[in-house]
Amino acid sequence: MMGSVMQPLISALLEGERVGALTATKRLRAEGLSRERIITEGIEIAMAALDEKCTLEQFNLLEIMLVGRALSAVVDFLYPEGSQPPKTKGTVAIASLHGDIHDIGKKIVIMVLAANGYRIIDCGKDCPVDKLVNTAVNEGAMAVMVSGLITSVIPQVRQIKAALEEKGQGNVKVLAGGAALKQVSAHDLQVDYVAQTAFDGFHFLKEKL
Amino acid sequence: MNSLDRIAAVVNFKETDRAPVIPQIFGHAAVFNRVPLVDYLRNGEKLASCQLTAQKYYGHDAVFVFMDACVESEAVGSTLIYTAEQYPDVNVYALTRDSDFHSLEVPDSSRAGRMPDFLKAASILREQAPDGLAVVGCVLGPMSLACQLLSLETALYLAIDETDRFEALLDFCAAVAINFGIAQIRAGVHLPLIFEPVASPEVVPTQFFRELIAPRIKQIFTALKDGNSMANWLHITGQINAILPLYPDIGVEIANFDYCVDPQSAQSLLPDTCLDGNLKPYDFVKATPETIAAESNYLLQQFSDRGGFILSSGCEIPPESRPENISAMVHSVRAKG
Repeated sequence: MMGSVMQPLISALLEGERVGALTATKRLRAEGLSRERIITEGIEIAMAALDEKCTLEQFNLLEIMLVGRALSAVVDFLYPEGSQPPKTKGTVAIASLHGDIHDIGKKIVIMVLAANGYRIIDCGKDCPVDKLVNTAVNEGAMAVMVSGLITSVIPQVRQIKAALEEKGQGNVKVLAGGAALKQVSAHDLQVDYVAQTAFDGFHFLKEKL
Repeated sequence: MNSLDRIAAVVNFKETDRAPVIPQIFGHAAVFNRVPLVDYLRNGEKLASCQLTAQKYYGHDAVFVFMDACVESEAVGSTLIYTAEQYPDVNVYALTRDSDFHSLEVPDSSRAGRMPDFLKAASILREQAPDGLAVVGCVLGPMSLACQLLSLETALYLAIDETDRFEALLDFCAAVAINFGIAQIRAGVHLPLIFEPVASPEVVPTQFFRELIAPRIKQIFTALKDGNSMANWLHITGQINAILPLYPDIGVEIANFDYCVDPQSAQSLLPDTCLDGNLKPYDFVKATPETIAAESNYLLQQFSDRGGFILSSGCEIPPESRPENISAMVHSVRAKG
């Protein structure tokens, strides 16, 4: 029953239709549905369907970005600035490391994780390891994620786990991804996991944490 | 046979004395010569000198006039961030979503940005490279240039929201590629490859590529061929199986395939097109010469019956690669004959 009520929102999100998704959300709110139900029975269902669709062979950035834009419009409507944010599944600190000034991959990961209920602390691009690690510790992050387009950041990636352990945070998971880093094994990078796509990283978090 | 003969032969599936071997040595030439990357990327004489030294040492079949993916964007008006040992990136994009894409002027390659240094490098390499060695240039594909002028996000959203305006921008980008490519040929380049990473199916769907990008790449190849380019070489990275069947109609004569593409799949999808690839770039940093030799021999074996193959890396060999690994790749071809 709920599926049919939510279907216009789910369909619009999956098509990346920002206006359609917003219209459907406004209608649901007008009908008295809570924000939480719209998230759990609408947005999360849409994201699960997108996840299933985005295999390694079929993943493409444009479709994900369109979904992300529609999703942002819906979330901004549901939780306007100043309102109480939705409950999260945990905090993740993310960055592109020092010397790497590309961040589109990072943005996609943020979209996927935020849509699935994680709180994201974005440390930006060209970020030193100590800033990323300190942020993770101060914000109580359950995981640290780094996206890398250039292989020269690899030595920095190798420092993250040890830096966390030094601060007594060895239980914080470290994930790497992006065109350069996904060529390297987790063992070589000294991280817990190398994600092939944003959804692959999400699966790891969901299963391990 | 010299390198040019060899390349011309494999493009036409004719016999060669050995497979051509063309590691994609760009910034590595600077590191190899202990020249700061930022100097290599901004000085045509240094670029040419580093390429010549690296080629003399490794003995591969082509030198590259390739700076980075920002040359055209900078020439149109973007400002870049340069750091000593990294490729630059755009700091301020030349265009905004509201720009009038119909009134843009194609940059004058004799004056704009680093284009004159690029052309100087091409001239020096053609003049000083050993006889018969291929001098390969590069133009940025229309989709990648559009993203370098607007930012990836803005360009992709524009493509969906205002397709007509986006197509006007793509037309401008194709004109830039043609103009710069022809200038490269006149300066001495044998063939300018089209570098179009943003056209990968990992970034845009196949329909998007077929409808919006492929016709412009075809237009560029046609113009470059009319300008005496030796062969149409297309370089798109990532998992590209979905678009490979479209390549013959675009006019592709050499198709780069990345490490994530299975060589057998590439052959079956492009039975009559010369392929170049596909050693994993990071292996040149991390692996041993024995591993590189084994991987090279595997690829040579995969193509031994078919021909139409250039042994190469799937994408750029990282600047910090170990020289002995590049040597191992070149030696494997020479040993096989």
